[in-house]
Amino acid sequence: MPRLPLGDWADSGVQWLVTHMGWLFDAVKAVVEGMYDGVNAVLTAPEPLLLAGILAVLAWWLRGLVAGVLAFGGFVLVDSLDLWERAMSTLALVLVATLIALVLSVPLGIWAARSRTVSAALRPVLDLLQTMPSMVLLIPAILFFGLGTAAGVIATLIFALAPGVRMTELGIRQVDAELVEAAEAFGTTRRDTLLRVQLPLALPTIMAGINQVIMLSLSMVVIAGMVGTGGLGGAVNEAIGQLDIGFGFEAGVGIVVLAIYLDRITGALGAQISPLGRRASAKARAASGVTVWSHRPRPVVAVAGVAVLALVAGGLGVFGPSSGTAEASATDIGRGKEIKLGYIPWDEGIASTFLWKELLERRGFEVSTTQYAAGPLYTGLATGQIDFQTDSWLPTTHAEYWKKYGKQLDDLGSWYSPTSLELTVPAYMKDVNSLADLKGKSSAFKGKIVGIEPSAGMMGLLKDKVLGAYGLKGSYDVVDGSTPAMLAELKRAYAKKEPIVVTLWSPHWAYSDYKLKKLKDPKGAWGKGDSVHTLSRKGFASDNPEVGAWLKDFSMTEKQLTGLESQISKAGKGKEQDAVRAWLDRNPGLADKWAPVAGQGDEDQAAG
Amino acid sequence: MSSRLEADHLYKVFGRRPTEAVERLRTGADREELRADGTTAAVIDASFTVEPGQIFVVMGLSGSGKSTLLRMLNGLLEPTAGHVRFDGQDLTALSDRDLRAVRARKISMVFQHFALFPHRSVLENAAYGLAVQGVPRAEREKRAAEALELCGLGGWEESWPDELSGGMQQRVGLARALATDADLLLMDESFSALDPLIRRDMQDQLLQLQQTLKKTIVFITHDLNEAMRLGDRIAVMRDGRIVQTGSAEDILLRPENDYVASFIQDVDRTRVLTASALMDTGATADAPRCACETAAPDTTFAELCALSARLSHPVRVVDGGGRVVGAVDRRSLVGFLGDEAADPSPCDRPEEKVTAHA
Repeated sequence: MPRLPLGDWADSGVQWLVTHMGWLFDAVKAVVEGMYDGVNAVLTAPEPLLLAGILAVLAWWLRGLVAGVLAFGGFVLVDSLDLWERAMSTLALVLVATLIALVLSVPLGIWAARSRTVSAALRPVLDLLQTMPSMVLLIPAILFFGLGTAAGVIATLIFALAPGVRMTELGIRQVDAELVEAAEAFGTTRRDTLLRVQLPLALPTIMAGINQVIMLSLSMVVIAGMVGTGGLGGAVNEAIGQLDIGFGFEAGVGIVVLAIYLDRITGALGAQISPLGRRASAKARAASGVTVWSHRPRPVVAVAGVAVLALVAGGLGVFGPSSGTAEASATDIGRGKEIKLGYIPWDEGIASTFLWKELLERRGFEVSTTQYAAGPLYTGLATGQIDFQTDSWLPTTHAEYWKKYGKQLDDLGSWYSPTSLELTVPAYMKDVNSLADLKGKSSAFKGKIVGIEPSAGMMGLLKDKVLGAYGLKGSYDVVDGSTPAMLAELKRAYAKKEPIVVTLWSPHWAYSDYKLKKLKDPKGAWGKGDSVHTLSRKGFASDNPEVGAWLKDFSMTEKQLTGLESQISKAGKGKEQDAVRAWLDRNPGLADKWAPVAGQGDEDQAAG
Repeated sequence: MSSRLEADHLYKVFGRRPTEAVERLRTGADREELRADGTTAAVIDASFTVEPGQIFVVMGLSGSGKSTLLRMLNGLLEPTAGHVRFDGQDLTALSDRDLRAVRARKISMVFQHFALFPHRSVLENAAYGLAVQGVPRAEREKRAAEALELCGLGGWEESWPDELSGGMQQRVGLARALATDADLLLMDESFSALDPLIRRDMQDQLLQLQQTLKKTIVFITHDLNEAMRLGDRIAVMRDGRIVQTGSAEDILLRPENDYVASFIQDVDRTRVLTASALMDTGATADAPRCACETAAPDTTFAELCALSARLSHPVRVVDGGGRVVGAVDRRSLVGFLGDEAADPSPCDRPEEKVTAHA
C-alpha cells in the first residue's frame, strides 16, 4: 500500500487558506470578537450581585420561585469564589458561540429537512465536525484566527453545530405529514407552512437542540481554554496544568453552575415560546393549583423587575467603573501599554513570567499572562498574538519549534544557562547510577519511564535518541503525560520508596525537595545543555525599546531562580505574583537592576 | 359546460420514468408488470364528471388509489398524465401560485385524521383557510364562528383540539373546510376514524348540511354502506382503475363485474334500494285505483315493506306529477330481500295449510 499523504494535503490546505483567505478570517475574527466584547461588556458592567439578581428574576419568571432562589445562590457562590469575571467571560463566549451556531444550524436544519440531497450531504460533514477530536481543530483555528476568543468561539461553534442542525431537521420531519398536507390543501405557501405550521410544532425539538448546543459549548470552553480564551475554561486548564485540585474544583463548580442555569433556562424558555409548551404548562399549573413555590410573575412583572434592578444599578453608578487617570511618574514607562505574556506551566517558566509581569507592571505596563501548551504558545508567538515568552530551551530541546517558527520570531537572548535534561531516579535506587544501568531492570520499573507533555522537546529527544543509544528501546515505554502528573507520580512513589524513573531537568526545585539522582549520560545522548531563551514576536523589541533592552540584558543565577521557584511553589496557585513581590522585597535592588529606569533611584518600593 | 369537476384520463405513477410507464399502461401493461420494475401505478386512466351540488363517492379498498386520485383533484399531487378541469379551468395547467389561490378560495379538504393544528384554538383552526387568504381577523373570526355554529360546535371556539372528542374534532375539520365558502369539498375518508355511532351522526349531518349548502363534494371511503348512504354517484376503484361508476342502485343491481358483485354482498340493501328500482313498470295498468297510501319513486325498501304490510294489494308508486309509474307487490319485496329473482314454483299440495307445531 502506498502511503497516502493525507496529512500533507491537510497541512498545505491549511497553509493555502492562511495565505489566501486571510481577509476572510480577519473579517470573521472581527465580527466574533466584536460580539464577544459587546456581550462581555454588558455582562460585566453591573455589580456581580445585581446581575445575579437579574438572572435570578429571569429564572423566577421562567421556572418559579425556587429556581430563582437557587439561581441567585449559585451565582453568589461563583462570585464568592472570585470567579465572577471568568464566569461572565465564559458565559459571553457560550452565548456568542450559541448564537452563531443557531444562526447557522437552524437554516441548515430547515434546508436538510426539505431536501433529502442536502440531508445526505450534510450528515457526514456533521459527523466529522462532531467526532473530530477538538484539539485537532484547535491548532488550525489558531492559525486562522490567532489565539484568544475568536479561535475559541469558532472551535466551540464547530463542535456544537451538529446537534442544532440535527434536531432542527428531526423536529421538522417529525411534524405530522397530514398537518403539512392540510396547510397545503388550504393554499398555504411553502414559506408560511414553515413559519405557521412546521416551525411552531417543531419548536420543542429545536429547543432541545439549542439546549444541546449550549451544553456542548460549555463542555468545549474548557478545551478552548487551551487557546487562551480565558474564563472558567482557562481556569480549569491552568489548574489541571499545575495539578491544582482545589482551584480546578472551584472552576469546575463555576462551570456546573453555569451549565445547570443555562440548561434549565433554555428548557423553560422552550416551553414558554412554543405554543404547545405554554399550553401544557398552563394545564399543569391549573391541575396542581397555584402555590407560592410555583408562582411565576407575569412577563410584565418580570421585565419591570429586571428594569428596576437595572435602574437601581444605573443610579448607583455601577455601570462601567470610571477609569482613573493614569499616574504620571518617572517609573511609568509603559503608560498603560498592553503586553501579553504566554507561558508553559513549567516551574522556571512560571517564575520568570510572573517576575516579568511584576517588573513590567511596576514600570506602568498592563500585563496579561496566559498559560498554554508548547504548540499553541509558539503558534501564538509566531502569529503575533503573544508578545514574548521566557521559557524557550535552545538549541536542543525546542529545536523542532525553532525550526518551524524561528523565522517569525525574535530571540532576545538567554537568561539562564546551562540547563541539563536527564532521566532521574530517587536516591534510594542504589544500583542505578547511569542510563546504562537501566538495561535489564525494566521489570523493576514496570517498563515505564514517566514522561511529561508529549509536546516537550525532551520527550522527542528521549524517544528518538536516548533510548536507542543505551539499547533501552522496546524494554521501556515512555509514558506521555504532563509535568504536574510526573511530579505527582514522583511524589507518590518517593513516599512509598517504590522504584521510579522520571524525565527531569535542571534547574528544578524537585532536586531540593527530594533526594534524587541524575542518571549519568556517558555517551552524551542528551546533547549539550541548553540555555533558557526569551523569545518575542517579530518586532516586539523595536516596538518597545525599553522592554527589549531589559529582556536582552536579563539573566538569573541558579540560586536566584531556585529561590524564586520555591517561594512560588510554597505560596501556591493563584499567588504567584504575591510570591514574586515578597521575593523581590527580600532581594532589594534586583528590580532596578533588571528593569532600570534612566536617571532613577530606588523608587519602585513605593510603586509596588 | 355543465359539470363542475371533470377528471379526464388521469394517471399517477410513482417511481422512475413515469411518463414511459404511462405509455406502457396505455398499451395494455398491467400494474404488476410495472411493480416488478419498481414503479407504482397508483391511478390508471381515471375519468369521471361531478355535477354541481352532487356528492360523488369514490369507493375502494386501501391501496386502490382513491386517496391519490383525490389529491390530484386539488393539485396536491400533479397527475403524470391527464387533466383535471374545475369549472372549465384546467388545474393541471396552472402555475403553483394560481393553484394555491384556487385551493385557498374554491377547494377545501377534510382529512381522515382531522389534521387540526394542535397549536391553534378551535376558532383559529376553523379560521385557518381564511387567514391564508388574508381575510382580516375580525371578519375571519366571525365567519369561522358561523361555520362552527353550522357544524354544531357553537360555544367551543376557545377550546383546543385535544380537548374535543373525535367526532367534535372532525366537525372542526368540516367547519374549517366550510368557512372558506369553497364550492368543492374533498373529503378523504373523513369519517373512517370515528366509531360507528358517531360516523352515522356525521353522515346524517353532512346530508343535512348538503340540503341547504348544495356544495359539490368528492367523498372518499372504503365503506360501501357509507358510499351508498352519501353518494349521488359512486365510483368503485380497484388496483388504480375505476371499475364502475353509477348510482347506488346501478352498483347494487347491475354490478359490472365479479369484483363489484362480491363487494356489494354485505350491503344492507333495505336502506339503499328505492321504489323506482323495485317497481314493476309493466304493471301500471293493473294497479288498483283506490284511495290507499302510495309510495314515491325514492321511497326506500324499508318503508315499502311497511306500506305493503298495511295494504292488501301491491303498492302504487306515484311520481311528483301524480302519475302512477309502477307498482310493487309483496312477493317482489320478499324476493329482493332473499336475493331471489325467479318466479315461485308451484306447491305439490296446494290445499295443505302450513301449521307451526310448537
